[in-house]
Amino acid sequence: MSAIKPMPPVAIEKPKAKVWNGARAIAETVKVADVDVIAAYPIRPYTGIMNALASMIADGEFTADIIVADSEHSQFEVVKHASAVGARVFAGSSGVGLAFAAEPIIVTALSQLPVVAAIGTRALDDPGNFGMEWSDALMFRDFGWLISWAKTVQEAADMTLVAYRVAEDRRVLLPHFIALDGAAITHVATPVVPVTKQQATEFLPPYRPPYRIDPQDGPVTKAQHIAPSLIGPEERKTIDVAQKRSKQVIAEAWKDFAKYTGREYTPFLETIGMEDAEFALIGMGAYMKDLELVASRLRSKGHKVGTVRLRYVRPFPAEELINALGGVKAAGVIEFGYSFGSPFGTGSLYHEVATSLYEADAKPTLLDFLFLGGREPTVEHFTQLAEKVIESAHKKPQKKTYWLTLRGEDI
Amino acid sequence: MSSQVAFKNIKEIPPVDYYTSGRRTCAGCGPALGYRIISKAAGPNTIFIGPTGCMYVANAHQFLTSPYAVPWHHTQLGGGGAAAIGVASALRTLMLKGKRKLEDINVVVMGGDGAMADIGFSGLSMGLSYDYQRLLYIIYDNEAYMNTGVQASSTTPWGATTTFTPAGKVKPIGNTRLKKNMALVAAAHPKVKYVATATLWPPLDLMNKVHRALNAGGPTLIHVLLPCPKGWFTNPSETVDLSRLAVETGMWVLWESIEGQFKLNYRPKPRKHVREYLAPQGRFSHLKDEDMEKIDKMIEEEWKFWEESAKLGRLVVPY
Amino acid sequence: MTVKLVKVTPKVERYPEYEELDWVIAHGLGVDHTADITSFSQTIAQAGSIKGIETYYYMRYDDSPERNYIPMAFYTVLGKPKVPVLLHEEVEPVGELFKVIAVFSSSLLLQKTAQRALLFDGAKKDAILLVNTSITTDDVVRLVKKYNLAQDWFGKVVTISAAKIDSAIAYPMLGALARGWDRIDLDSILTALDVLGKEKKKESVRKGYEAASVKEVHVLAEETEMFKKIKREVELPEFTGEFWTPDVYYAYQKAAAEAQTYPSRIAAMPRWEVLAPGLIEFGPQPGKRNLGFTTPWRWQRPIIDMNKCTDCKLCHYYCPDGAIDFAPIKVDIDYCKGCGTCEKVCPVKAIKMVPEIEYLEGLRDEEVLRRFEQREYGF
Repeated sequence: MSAIKPMPPVAIEKPKAKVWNGARAIAETVKVADVDVIAAYPIRPYTGIMNALASMIADGEFTADIIVADSEHSQFEVVKHASAVGARVFAGSSGVGLAFAAEPIIVTALSQLPVVAAIGTRALDDPGNFGMEWSDALMFRDFGWLISWAKTVQEAADMTLVAYRVAEDRRVLLPHFIALDGAAITHVATPVVPVTKQQATEFLPPYRPPYRIDPQDGPVTKAQHIAPSLIGPEERKTIDVAQKRSKQVIAEAWKDFAKYTGREYTPFLETIGMEDAEFALIGMGAYMKDLELVASRLRSKGHKVGTVRLRYVRPFPAEELINALGGVKAAGVIEFGYSFGSPFGTGSLYHEVATSLYEADAKPTLLDFLFLGGREPTVEHFTQLAEKVIESAHKKPQKKTYWLTLRGEDI
Repeated sequence: MSSQVAFKNIKEIPPVDYYTSGRRTCAGCGPALGYRIISKAAGPNTIFIGPTGCMYVANAHQFLTSPYAVPWHHTQLGGGGAAAIGVASALRTLMLKGKRKLEDINVVVMGGDGAMADIGFSGLSMGLSYDYQRLLYIIYDNEAYMNTGVQASSTTPWGATTTFTPAGKVKPIGNTRLKKNMALVAAAHPKVKYVATATLWPPLDLMNKVHRALNAGGPTLIHVLLPCPKGWFTNPSETVDLSRLAVETGMWVLWESIEGQFKLNYRPKPRKHVREYLAPQGRFSHLKDEDMEKIDKMIEEEWKFWEESAKLGRLVVPY
Repeated sequence: MTVKLVKVTPKVERYPEYEELDWVIAHGLGVDHTADITSFSQTIAQAGSIKGIETYYYMRYDDSPERNYIPMAFYTVLGKPKVPVLLHEEVEPVGELFKVIAVFSSSLLLQKTAQRALLFDGAKKDAILLVNTSITTDDVVRLVKKYNLAQDWFGKVVTISAAKIDSAIAYPMLGALARGWDRIDLDSILTALDVLGKEKKKESVRKGYEAASVKEVHVLAEETEMFKKIKREVELPEFTGEFWTPDVYYAYQKAAAEAQTYPSRIAAMPRWEVLAPGLIEFGPQPGKRNLGFTTPWRWQRPIIDMNKCTDCKLCHYYCPDGAIDFAPIKVDIDYCKGCGTCEKVCPVKAIKMVPEIEYLEGLRDEEVLRRFEQREYGF
């Protein structure tokens, strides 16, 4: 078992960037991460990851077992149980496929198995729609999965490696979703500096759960049915505490990651222009770059606009968010997920932000911008919304939620 | 693949139960008895997977209690098929990659009829299409979803009363669907090494079939009929007798398919009338003589196909 | 590795709001008595409702599903004027709750209850013990003092040989209950049966009322055997802040298995920090039986005549609970549920099932010997 040895800066490998789409890039990280068992089931747009892995395995580029499951429910059962035996695993899905796997997905977190899965987020049926929405991933935010959200293909590849390190840590032992904005990541190819085999080997300790389902660990009984008068809240508490501890583990992991690869990320939030911002645009994922452009344009016109990008939804970085938004008069949440019938018709990310801000000393005016149905918003839409945020600081806004890509009246 | 009889004499069986005493199963529980016997035959190098059901809840339902003297992991009601593949794949891959020593380890799924014939049918079928060795799917068939309170499944026999198919004034028969034969379904998967049916009688039959299955070299399935005193409304002491009567009336057919070769294990001669099997069971007490005749006739008809299969040495689908 | 143990005195919580109510707890053997106990409880609730009393009945969901021969209990709660009937679904046998303790099989006088407590744990001081049995009231009191009472009892015992009157034993039991308890009188029970469409059973209720034997009881805690024997403390592993290893787990398991009261059992349950992540417990080492769950369910036990025994091993093979050792053939009685399979499969009839009340106390109870006739769902 290799201890984590810090490497001196000169020894950092600097491999050349390759033009890969998100699916390929993630697969390449899985390849070097010494994954043992992969379960696959096709659904757009994440499937390319599995296609790439299958091809690599068939050509002997790495050793792992890839199982073609009969459904997503089986797919996630396969990796759940392989993980319990002590194998490092990988799975993934999108949209309704993920929904079909809900049962094992929930159980995986509640039984603390560090499964790593990529979600190519996709609009849920009905209607069938290959477009991007967040609800397939976000609907699982209650159960204990760690959820990180990538902005670029590069970040998706990097997050995949860090996910194993955090999920398998003895202080955590929780499964980890790497969420990415559907085809905007999986099917868009950009230059990516790959994680090398050497970096992965040094960065990731071997996976060794405390008690494996394996005769060599003795008669371990896992997940017995219980009577709640005897035990109940206690088993839930371990999940709660694991999430709380994960923040420190995440921070440590990204620090180490920078040492080995030279790529630095602030663990929880990427903030631009927030030091003196009066207006904030809060979001996640691939379209943050567009929002950053809009913010910088407005800055040059004299408006102090900044952006806050969440890299993790779980654990939710509430304290970091409150600190980042200190001094802000108005903020907008930009999201691609919904929660029909929720307070004021706001979306899921809004709920998380608003709940966090409830504890802040000063609460900015908060607006919600929902981009649903998979229709891609443009810089024009982002400019509109930023202007609405700025306006809301002077004049009480008529509405709280805006569907700017909608045709028809936004009532 | 070994077809020798591993357990010839009941005095020479392994004395240890790897699914042991001290659990909340019913007095006279057929599945629990089957589980004990299967655990003896499988031995200590075994991992059990337990889909939700009586053989999950009844073996727990407290805390600080476990009757499994070998590793055991719960899985979802429909997860049995896939869970076994996950375990088998992990073991094989870890051994291949030198992360674990090479060893023969049995992976046995104890799934109920509801779990394997209904909600987990798809996953089971997937499991049977792979080539992991020492993988055995056991269907403990008590002919209903017993743990949730005796609801009909697709292996509930025609004429049985269950809480979802109770015999009533306008629906006097109770369950009107016909029993699904899961061993047949399994045998229809290409290149499945070993499929068998079993029950608690004759003694040692189930143990030998488990042994054969685990040594068959690929995913295997044994469909085991196991009487349930609670759901069948029978005396807890009658569980073994009922297994015997099921076989002697021809209601339950004991056979094996060994790499495609069909073998009929027991031919009741003469075949007892099915009423001998139905009469002790409260779940059939609403049936009239004509209903029991109908069941007996169905058995008679179906047996033509078992005889034909026996003659051919290959399975003939009896429908 | 030895685990350091510390003594823990369990916390006993009482809830005065629940103790103001009248609780009827009906104990029976699972599945065998489910329909009977359901009818019994339902009729009492119906009778109470007719009299304008707020009421409900249920089986603790935590205790369900009941299994064949498992001790099980139903609760019927009757309110009082101005006392609201609060929901207490996970009712524990502590404090002074139970006004009526109805026992449908005398074997339950010798065993722990569904909650693994003494029969009289949680009983009011003036509790009425109603037993379906053909043994005398004196014998009932004697048994209770020996096995299942560790507190003062200044109440009543009522016995009725119910199956002699009607194989649906709930109805004679209801009649006997009316004899012993003024709160639920005969007329309201009969009216309740009309409401429930069970008019045909009214005659059995009346006969039960007539045939019941009633006796006043005056027992002090110090006069009982359990008062002297019962140990309330538990010994637990010292808390180190680490999650458990198998040895620590087995120590917790032993404490829980050996707990003699309900509060002791709860005290033996671990705090969350001790739980190994991932819902991990440990089964027994191969060759051992599961310590956490010995089964005092049996109402009858197998007696093997070793002179007749040919050592064929069929009883070992066919015991659903694996309670018969392989060599030498011997029943581990802690794990026997009294199903009777061994008696049936023995080819030389060397095994005879004997009721516990006969084996342990030399008493013959006609009610215990009645044939299993379950033909309807109780659930």
